[in-house]
Amino acid sequence: MSGVAVEAGAAGHGAEPRGKRGDDGQATYLIAIAEALWEEMERDERVFMLGEDIGAYGGAFKVTEGFIERFGPERVLDTPIVEETIVGMAVGAAMEGLRPVAEFQYADFMSSGFDEITTVLSRYHYRAGVPLPVVLRAPSGGGVRASSFHSTNPEPYFAHAGGIKIMCPAFPSDAKGLLKSAIRDDNPSLFLEHKWIYRRIKEQVPTEPDVLVPIGKADVKLEGSDVSVITYGAMVHKALEAAESLAQRGISTEVVDLRTVHPFDEDTVLRSIEKTSRALVLYESFRFLGIGSEVAATIAERAFEHLDAPVMRLAPPNIPVPFSPTLEDAFLPQVADIEAAVERLSTW
Amino acid sequence: MATNVRERTEADRPLPDERLREVLRLLKLARYFDERMEALYRQGRLPGAIYSGRGQEGTHVGVAYALEPTDSLFPTHRDLTAQLTKGLELKRVMAQYWGRIDGYLRGRDGNSHIGDWYGNRTFAVMSHLPIAYPVACGAALAYQRAGDRRVAMAICGDGATSNGRWHEAINTSAIFRLPVVWVVNNNRFAYSTPNRGEFPIPTIAERGASYGIPGVRVDGGEVLEVYAATKEAVDRARDGGGPTLIESVSLRWRGHAGHDPAKYMPAEMLEDAMANHDPVRNFQEQLLGWGVVSEQDVAKLQGDIEREFDEGYEYALASPFPEPGDVTKGLWVEDGYWTSPPGRGGGTEAG
Repeated sequence: MSGVAVEAGAAGHGAEPRGKRGDDGQATYLIAIAEALWEEMERDERVFMLGEDIGAYGGAFKVTEGFIERFGPERVLDTPIVEETIVGMAVGAAMEGLRPVAEFQYADFMSSGFDEITTVLSRYHYRAGVPLPVVLRAPSGGGVRASSFHSTNPEPYFAHAGGIKIMCPAFPSDAKGLLKSAIRDDNPSLFLEHKWIYRRIKEQVPTEPDVLVPIGKADVKLEGSDVSVITYGAMVHKALEAAESLAQRGISTEVVDLRTVHPFDEDTVLRSIEKTSRALVLYESFRFLGIGSEVAATIAERAFEHLDAPVMRLAPPNIPVPFSPTLEDAFLPQVADIEAAVERLSTW
Repeated sequence: MATNVRERTEADRPLPDERLREVLRLLKLARYFDERMEALYRQGRLPGAIYSGRGQEGTHVGVAYALEPTDSLFPTHRDLTAQLTKGLELKRVMAQYWGRIDGYLRGRDGNSHIGDWYGNRTFAVMSHLPIAYPVACGAALAYQRAGDRRVAMAICGDGATSNGRWHEAINTSAIFRLPVVWVVNNNRFAYSTPNRGEFPIPTIAERGASYGIPGVRVDGGEVLEVYAATKEAVDRARDGGGPTLIESVSLRWRGHAGHDPAKYMPAEMLEDAMANHDPVRNFQEQLLGWGVVSEQDVAKLQGDIEREFDEGYEYALASPFPEPGDVTKGLWVEDGYWTSPPGRGGGTEAG
């Protein structure tokens, strides 16, 4: 299977993910992720992928389509349905100098590999000093009518485990640059790809293979002066949509995209609060003990003197993600909910 | 020659005399260490927990002795003897038991939850058995890919064979024909649960057939039998022949951990094991019978072991505790904790 010559197409990319960009040169979030994987596989022979149906089938979401033809079945390893073993194998291979990128078909199924993630992967370097440059990729998030077992946001579980860096990018360029950083980082990473964004959001994405986005750095996606919305993942897009109509009502919203949720960029968050004095923490994982709970606590602790209003949270209740459109919409924060929360804060 | 002493045949003696003596030293060291550490534990002089491997030394020495230094070992907390066989230094092991900075894990973990990856290629033990089985698959995958003829070995107990990961890992290793040896230390009890409460078939070894790999059952009371079967499995893995399942049967002479009096274990079972299947005494008598060692050699060996233990004890207690200010270091690679000399400011007296 390996060594199939890649024909140079008009864009010079043939079967490469980059060849799948639109005529305008824009890349979807999904294509940007595929580009990052492809370029890192080309750059470093130690990088390999393992997961279920990632080879000839190209992965549940087709992120790895075409990879096995270019890199061969050894570097695009189809495994049986063995989540604990996928993670364990990634750990063992990393201990022997490889740089595995493991794909979960859905982030929901990470619970089937939970012990190897939280007991081995997250603790091993602290306990024993052996670096584990492992990346776990998983499509997360709701809003696509996929119900309870294909919609979860597991980032708080794994943030709580400690030694795993967790990225939840919202834009194609950030996804590409962060995934490259994760693959090159010597620590374990969990790279959560929001499936609602996969094919919905596209933009111009850097083509130079060494453009990285630093892990642990937030990005202000929209400058504003009245209220800060601290968020990540698909909620960034909801926040930006809300900010547009809020602006028409004379409310200036700042949207801070955490990009990395563990460890998160406290400085950028605090700088934003110093400017606006009002914080809405918006997140898609459960409200109770979610990533946003930690962000809110940090703001309360470190920016108390800058606050003109209580720190507010907007997040789903701690219930399983429901299926029916009316229920899922009631479960997930909607643009109107964000507008109402920001408006309330702005008039506090 | 009509005699009770067994013939010195190649089949009986798969190793040169010097190495047979080394095997005896490891068996006796393991036994003495186990007994002395239990005594210190009962006296309240040893913090934390102990997980005795007594009665299973034939399994532990036999399997680990079949590995080369560059092969890797993924053991459990019961298998410290296998790690000593792989090459861990007793004094640094003891420093770990007392939570000292010179222990292999710098006080980050204790007792037999130990490992020395860069020195002796042993994985730092975790409790959630058989948690290291999948990890061994990954190391074996790396060896297969590199084509460097190395082998990974994982050990777990009979109890862990009930866990889903045991199946996942062995199944996966068989699919990819990974160079790995799966060892089950069947000491007949999973904490308090006997074999009949763990698996509904006569042996664990026969499960190998369901993965299309050889399954071998050996007597853990006979170290050379264990060694020979393991060596064959290691060689097969090294030559690209894929994984083997080895079930080595013995008895756990002590409780699950130091606090457990193991009253659930039938007295006659333990008496039989100690009288007839003592791997240390059996092997010592075998070597005496073969003339590989003399009574004087054995006495000197025992004296050397006791001295090594005493020196290890002194070393451990003289080693400082970790610096309390270092408690959060080493989570991330970039803080450099594990690539620089550790702080030694924790004193030598427990707070």
